[in-house]
Amino acid sequence: MLAVIRPDSWNLPLFLHVLGATVLFGATATVAIVGFAGRTHAPQAPMLARVGLKTFLFGIIPGFILMRAAAGWIVDKEFPDKTPGWVDVGFAVSEPGAILLIALGILAWMSVRRQGVGRIAVAVPVLASIYLVALGIAWWAMSAKP
Amino acid sequence: MSTYEWLLFLHVTGAFLLLGGGVVAGSLNIAALRRDRPSEIVLLFGLIRIAVVSILIGTLLAFVFGLWLVHEAGYGYGDGWVITAIVLLIVANAMGGIGGKRDEATAKFAAELAAQGDAPSPELRSRVRDPISLALSYGSGLVLVAILAIMIWKPGA
Repeated sequence: MLAVIRPDSWNLPLFLHVLGATVLFGATATVAIVGFAGRTHAPQAPMLARVGLKTFLFGIIPGFILMRAAAGWIVDKEFPDKTPGWVDVGFAVSEPGAILLIALGILAWMSVRRQGVGRIAVAVPVLASIYLVALGIAWWAMSAKP
Repeated sequence: MSTYEWLLFLHVTGAFLLLGGGVVAGSLNIAALRRDRPSEIVLLFGLIRIAVVSILIGTLLAFVFGLWLVHEAGYGYGDGWVITAIVLLIVANAMGGIGGKRDEATAKFAAELAAQGDAPSPELRSRVRDPISLALSYGSGLVLVAILAIMIWKPGA
């Protein structure tokens, strides 16, 4: 198979899109990890809940904005008229995913207020894990282009 | 799905596990920098081990399927961008590995302090903020971002 060559002008938005997506993935995984760790390390649960909220604010939000803005930028260049199905899968994950992330942020904030204990503190890592699965579906669609 | 698409998916999966693991390790490390209690530092450094597993699996997937992709897509193993990416991957892993070993020693020291009353210690504070460890770990992350840029721009291809 011949190497797939794309115009140079697509490289920067693609780089920013992938960079944002990896930051989003890593930050979401961090929220899930500290959330689950809070279940088994009760004395440190308040500290872990704070780490989860700060990771949401300084990792997930910038990562999502970078990923989504760069996605729009490259789609405008690559598919100015009609987007293929695999791009639609990406948007199908990112748009409802934004609502899920807003819910995650609210729950992470409430979890800090409740010292990282209770049902809300359990919901935070569960919701983060669901979002990780959605991101996995998106990166399969983006790379395999079914 | 064609062979190329499968290989690209597995290569990208490796890249996500590698870079995402780096973000997890960095986030937990930043959190540890802001703590003084030894038991909290032990816990945060302990959680970084999960990121290390992700980084190791990601490195293996990205490397193996990346080399396979080079052949499948018609590039050459002698191309400058391929060689540069491989060298940088080795450099990133070496830097991350050395930084990680220093952090492991800090975590052991923190565990000892936690067992002896869990009081904050100036020595632990300075070890957690050791500039050499931080330069190695965060430098490793920057090298990974440089590899991502090379993968996308493929200079000279």
